Amino acid sequence: MTTSLASTIGPAVPEAVPMSFSGRGREFLKILIAGSLFQIPTFGFYRFWLITKMRRHLWSNTQVAGEAFEYAGTAKELLIGFFIALAVLTPLYLAYFILGLMLEEKHALASIPLVIVMYVLAHFGSYRARRYRATRTIFRGMRFWMTGKGWAYAGRAILWDLATILTLGLALPWASASLERYRMRHTFFGTLQGDFTGSGWTLFKRGVWVWALGIVLVVGLPVGFAAFLHKQGDPAGLWANLTPPFIILLAFLALWPIAMAIFARWQLEGIRFGEVTVSSQLRKRAFVGVFLKLIFSSLAFMICFGLGIALVGFIFKQQILPLLVEFNTVFTHDSELVRESMPGIATVVVVAALLYLVLLLGLGVIQRYFIGRGLWAVMVNSVSVANLPALDAAVAAGQPSGVLGEGLADALDFNVGL
Amino acid sequence: MADAAIFYDGLSARRRAVSIRITSSSLDVEEAGQWIASWPVGKVRRADAPEGVLRLVLQDEPGLARLDIFDGALQSAVQAACPRLHASNPKEKIGRIVLWSAAAAASIVLCVLFLVPVVAERMTPLVPASWEKRLGQAVDNQIRLIVGDKICSDPQGSAALASLTARLRSSNPAAEEIDIQVLDSRVPNAITLPGGKIYLFRALLEKAEAPDEIAGVLAHEMGHAHHRDSLRKLIQTGGSSYLFGLLFGDVTGSGALVFMSRMLVDNAYSRDAERAADAFAGQTMTDLGRSSAAMAHLLKRIEGNESKLPAFLSTHPVTDERLKVLERLVPREQGAPLLTNQEWRALKEICKTS
Repeated sequence: MTTSLASTIGPAVPEAVPMSFSGRGREFLKILIAGSLFQIPTFGFYRFWLITKMRRHLWSNTQVAGEAFEYAGTAKELLIGFFIALAVLTPLYLAYFILGLMLEEKHALASIPLVIVMYVLAHFGSYRARRYRATRTIFRGMRFWMTGKGWAYAGRAILWDLATILTLGLALPWASASLERYRMRHTFFGTLQGDFTGSGWTLFKRGVWVWALGIVLVVGLPVGFAAFLHKQGDPAGLWANLTPPFIILLAFLALWPIAMAIFARWQLEGIRFGEVTVSSQLRKRAFVGVFLKLIFSSLAFMICFGLGIALVGFIFKQQILPLLVEFNTVFTHDSELVRESMPGIATVVVVAALLYLVLLLGLGVIQRYFIGRGLWAVMVNSVSVANLPALDAAVAAGQPSGVLGEGLADALDFNVGL
Repeated sequence: MADAAIFYDGLSARRRAVSIRITSSSLDVEEAGQWIASWPVGKVRRADAPEGVLRLVLQDEPGLARLDIFDGALQSAVQAACPRLHASNPKEKIGRIVLWSAAAAASIVLCVLFLVPVVAERMTPLVPASWEKRLGQAVDNQIRLIVGDKICSDPQGSAALASLTARLRSSNPAAEEIDIQVLDSRVPNAITLPGGKIYLFRALLEKAEAPDEIAGVLAHEMGHAHHRDSLRKLIQTGGSSYLFGLLFGDVTGSGALVFMSRMLVDNAYSRDAERAADAFAGQTMTDLGRSSAAMAHLLKRIEGNESKLPAFLSTHPVTDERLKVLERLVPREQGAPLLTNQEWRALKEICKTS
């Protein structure tokens, strides 16, 4: 309520219109569950179709003043991107492997240099993947598009990563601001150039307490705890080993959504397209809520899954197994063969693998529902856009870009978001 | 009809409130009474839009013109007028996706079954010995991670091992560089790394009752080294696991590396490779005037006793056929024992002090 008051009273945001997300949770869940099940018989290839469907749903239900976005990418494009990434990466790995054999090195298979190559490619790929998604985003009959070079971006990102590591994370706000500026200034809506006005200093002021608390917890807590236990004269007890990691885990679970919320709000508020400005009233508790739902749903799912397996296993042992043995004895007339084939390690392995797959896919559905859709909805609903009429001046420009980045993201397993 | 639709011309982001006149052949878009566009009904398609909005596009149009219809009555009228509204989103052919995925999986399986062995066979002689050595070094590191890196080096035992190695090598000028070491492991096993390094596991040594038994095993492993079996195996498993990894999206092949080393510990060579190594061992032992069958007896004995067989026995057991072949190789005249009693005792206790 205070948010709407602020936006109507504040003179800085004239006639701001809210963004809204109108997608139904059930519909998204249906996409996720069907898509996850289809991934089993397709050896995971269905992931490209699933991602495309998810994006189409999210885009088309994201509205600015009642006008919805549209996602125009196709699953086939993603598949082709994956093949291109394969064609790029396979020779790279072969060359790396053979080079490792040829060069005089003790640990020929030590993978540190390869990790560096992958790390550079990940930054490059993330920029190109963003470009792909931008050029597949349609709004008011025009597409977004991007200029800029993936390599130039990767270079900047690497230097900023170095700075961030050297300053124990203190440089992160300025790194984020610089990289976001690069991304947004190379993003266009037709002829309208994007910009990013968020400053590193603002993010620093908002987030420094999270950073400080994190450092205190990670460094201070175990040390303090160890000292405490040392005084008690039980330095090697079970509690000493278990408690600090547990508290750190809890602290991170609590701090992570807060940090994400601070970051997301800052990122949204900095977005500009020409005269069009964006403001956000994103609350930290909204993100925390989504994460709590994620954690409790995952736990509930795992408990149900475990109970289900126990029940099915019990019934199988009591009812079905004797039947099967009988059937096999009749069928093969060979008791020795039956004894050999019944417990069948291969069968157990296959069943275990399938169960593991179901567990994994189920957790994936829950994670995508809350992190993919949940956070998206919270962010969209927090945004107001001002000076929307300035968009009228934009004229169509830009072409759809290639899909290598998405392929790299898929092949290298780095997350480019939705 | 009144302004019940919004038209975006695809050239600018201008939002144009329009009315739509539906004729039998086209949707005519009019802005304030002025005609601005006509869309042939057969080419009008539906695009993604939130609930309650009908978003239309014109097929084959290079631009991104959109027509958003909000009015329910007009939506029904348009839906009735445009016969191919949903043609742009044909029902996703899940069957085809499954089929192609299965085809991709099948092609990878076929490659693993038929192509990879041939490639490994052809590539093995092409790999320079220096590469093989370095590869062996890398595998060595992995093996020691898996098995543990306690190398037994009791001085007297090592001396006995060295003399046994020298005897074995003397009958085989081809076996240039053989490096045999004893690994402190409870699994009765012996493995050969690429580059010719041979690890004898302590448990196998403990189970042996005569020097000839161990000599036979070592000669057998020397056969593997001589035929570069482990390099061939490494190329084959490496290629196979890389291909399987691809299927599940692991392009980096990081899983393949670990898997390769594991496979080597469970060194299941092909039947042909085992037979060839047996022949090599038989030749070596016969040349030295010793019994070739001793090795087979040792392995048979372990097979009989162990409840949990090491993989190298369970996948390629000492069949009666193998035993017979080895027993047929009887030396023409008995040679001197390969180790003195004292040396044999020292060798058996090589792991004691270290």
